[in-house]
Amino acid sequence: MNSKIRLFALLAVIALIVAACGDGSSTDTTEAAGDAATTVGGDGAGVSDIEFWVAFSDEARLGFAQEKAADFNAAHPDYNIDVVSFASYNDVFDAAVLAVDSGDPPGLIHFFEAATRQALDAVDAGGNPIFASVTEAIAGRTEILGVPVVLDSVVDAARNYYTVDGSFYSMPWNTSSAIMFSNSDILDAAGVTEIPDTWDEVEAACEKIAALADGPSACMTWPNHGWFVEQSLGQQGALLANADNGRTGRATEVFLDSNAMVDYIGWWKDMADKGHYVYTGAQRDWDGTANAFYAQEVAMLIYSSSDATLLTEGGADAGFGVEASFMPHNGDVDYVGNLIGGATIWMLDGMDDVTQDGALAFLNFFSNAANAAEWHQITGYIPITQDAVDLLETEGWYAESPNSLVASDQLAAAENTPASLGALLGNFVAIRDVITLAIEDILVNDLDVAERMGAANEEANKILTEYETLFGG
Amino acid sequence: MLIIGLVIAAVLGPLYLARTPRYRTPRRLGIGTTASVAGAAVTPLAMGQCGFAPETSGVDHLLAYGLMAGGSWLALIVAKAFYDRADGERSDESGMTGEIRSGGFNLGWWVPWALLSPTLIILAVFLYTPAAQTFTLSTKLARLGAPKSLDVCFGNFTELLITDPVKLVAIPLISIGAIYGARWWRRSASPGSLGHRGAELASLAAALSVFVALYAIFSPGGDGQVAYRPVYLNTVIITVGIVAVGMIGGLGIAYLAFRKIRGGGIYRTLLIWPYAISPAVAGILFFMIFDPTAGIFNYVMENWFGIDAPNYRESAVLAQAAIIMASGWKILGYNVLFYLAGLQTVSIIQIEASILDGASAWKRFTKIVIPALSPITFFLLVTNLTYAFFDIYATIDFMTKGAPAGKTSVAIYEIIRIGVNNGDLGRGAAQSVLLFAAVIGVTLWQFRTSGERVSYGGA
Repeated sequence: MNSKIRLFALLAVIALIVAACGDGSSTDTTEAAGDAATTVGGDGAGVSDIEFWVAFSDEARLGFAQEKAADFNAAHPDYNIDVVSFASYNDVFDAAVLAVDSGDPPGLIHFFEAATRQALDAVDAGGNPIFASVTEAIAGRTEILGVPVVLDSVVDAARNYYTVDGSFYSMPWNTSSAIMFSNSDILDAAGVTEIPDTWDEVEAACEKIAALADGPSACMTWPNHGWFVEQSLGQQGALLANADNGRTGRATEVFLDSNAMVDYIGWWKDMADKGHYVYTGAQRDWDGTANAFYAQEVAMLIYSSSDATLLTEGGADAGFGVEASFMPHNGDVDYVGNLIGGATIWMLDGMDDVTQDGALAFLNFFSNAANAAEWHQITGYIPITQDAVDLLETEGWYAESPNSLVASDQLAAAENTPASLGALLGNFVAIRDVITLAIEDILVNDLDVAERMGAANEEANKILTEYETLFGG
Repeated sequence: MLIIGLVIAAVLGPLYLARTPRYRTPRRLGIGTTASVAGAAVTPLAMGQCGFAPETSGVDHLLAYGLMAGGSWLALIVAKAFYDRADGERSDESGMTGEIRSGGFNLGWWVPWALLSPTLIILAVFLYTPAAQTFTLSTKLARLGAPKSLDVCFGNFTELLITDPVKLVAIPLISIGAIYGARWWRRSASPGSLGHRGAELASLAAALSVFVALYAIFSPGGDGQVAYRPVYLNTVIITVGIVAVGMIGGLGIAYLAFRKIRGGGIYRTLLIWPYAISPAVAGILFFMIFDPTAGIFNYVMENWFGIDAPNYRESAVLAQAAIIMASGWKILGYNVLFYLAGLQTVSIIQIEASILDGASAWKRFTKIVIPALSPITFFLLVTNLTYAFFDIYATIDFMTKGAPAGKTSVAIYEIIRIGVNNGDLGRGAAQSVLLFAAVIGVTLWQFRTSGERVSYGGA
């Protein structure tokens, strides 16, 4: 009997150990945060350490940040920019807020556009804003530590989106827009001579593609992500939230059941019902939709321009031509404008002047013409400054890769109105979730669009009201 | 309102502590009253009696009373354990702990505490404190980086429940009544009789009625309530599926792999492999197999058999089956490992004797092997349930992200979605507390029911 108890106890111990080891996999980010904390602070031989928390973990984009940090460090031996990788924007933000409260904040963090309101609102335990305004910190200087200030050269689309109360709080970095990628081989085979531009044209093209004998299983797809809905609202000139999309005051109400919203999702559902749009079945499915395009299961893909380079090369590898074009819009209403997406770099408040100057110098170095152009070339995010655009033009880049120009052109074609700028909204991530869940419900369960969006609107307004109770006024 | 609760506690407390006539001493009656009232008063005082505030609903009052009853009950258990020992009542120690105690060193009372302190300190810092903070957080509307948080009392809980307080009380009471009724019936019926058979079936039905009762008390949504009923249903279906697939499959495979076969060691090693894979990787693997556009399964079906397989993520049944398959497969190796170890302890003598008696292989399996494995099965039931409750977030996130329309969103997935991804700390904490209560409940129920049937062999 004792041996059995012993065996049993041993098994239990093994199970506990195995379970403990297994848990280790989920603690990567906390470990990263812990490591980060140890190197913060301007001690050592007069070297100021500045942590830069980045929400990328892929070789190309994280590698770019690490490489530029190394370049900066080599040119400025007094500073050490240390790039730390996180799994997502939310992880970066949560870790940063907690790090502020525990007294070991990073210097710079990478945070996305939809959370701009949240970042502006964030305060530490003492009620002071966590982030400092980049414009204010630069204070009109044209050069910091020998690095020319590039803030004035930031392209209009990004400038208009991120300017709040007349000031850049954060430094734009990865910026993209939603554009369409077409498999030109399939389009040619189907006799579609001109890439469709409006919803009706898309449908007509899809009819032709569906008639192909050995055509793709569906005409097109795009991820069920709130960003595409916002793009369409911008195109149709409709607001997502009150107070001019939260740009003349705090947004306190969202309009998820507006006509423009119902029209767009209705068209979407219609395309799905006719078999032209294929839903991959999951929300925010960037990989699944891109894979469908690579596998030539669809002829057209509406996607982020951030992957313009990848998608163009991927198509070439798979043996088909890829042509980028503007995101199709509602032909029944006047086109107003598409908006940007992406992220900026926020500077935390509370650094001493020497360290902060290092951080500012790095930000401007990071987006200087050569670096911003290189960033655009390896990814497809738009060149963030006019200097970079000019540089790319003189190098003849756009002539050899026209797909890379589409996002910039689309943004340049947009009117500067609150609708086409996009909303500044509290708890935007949760509200986007409400939208995409409702769309999934409509697509999968064949629901009435207006009714389901009405329910979603109630839910989203409750979320926004609660956010405003905590943060507003 | 608070007073009513305290009076009830004051009456019931002494009744509990002085159940047997031998203990109806004034001291025990006094202690019973004090402990019961004190236990009941802790939560309303800590929460500023918010559950009884003027604008609260009947459901709030119920939850407040429920917490008072829980506090009172805990205080009485502690008091009873303490005074039973003081009064020389032998607590029902098992032979095992008794043996260990009798061989102990006679040192000061603080020695065991000192030896335990490293563990206790780690537990207190990394487990108990966060757990306590979760309870506090569950009564708030809070976000990271917010200048303030709001006390919402039971609001994060009441929005998950139906709004009718009468039904909220009556439905669980009916279920509990059915359980005790069936138990009483089973005891009073003579074993082997038809009535006893019926009573056993009634017990099973009564136990299952708990699931139905819980289904009935969670809100179906609408009117500003959170639709938690679907989440509950998904959790039950997926959890039961994973545990069933993992354990039945694990036992079957272990029984087959246990035989003497050529290269058995290689088989057995390979069978354990899936356990070394993280839930996220399991999700990616099955995603790659079943992905409707780029998956291997659809490719094979379409090109070899000409069948256009449906997108599993657009059908609730297929999506849930896919999650169960991926998660069940992942835990399979773990179960095989334990069952292989357990099979070595099955008595060869009994098997040989039964062969001589002419018992069929199936009879030997059901009558000797399965009972002999009951401790392992019980242990695996607990670990598998824990796995199915807590560890499948990554698998779901990679395979379906809750699709179609939330049909694969289980409790832990909702907690992470709301609490972490959406940053709603209070609601996330409230749902965590609910899951915590569920795990405690399931574990208690297992100990009470399975415990009776688990045989460790020997004396």
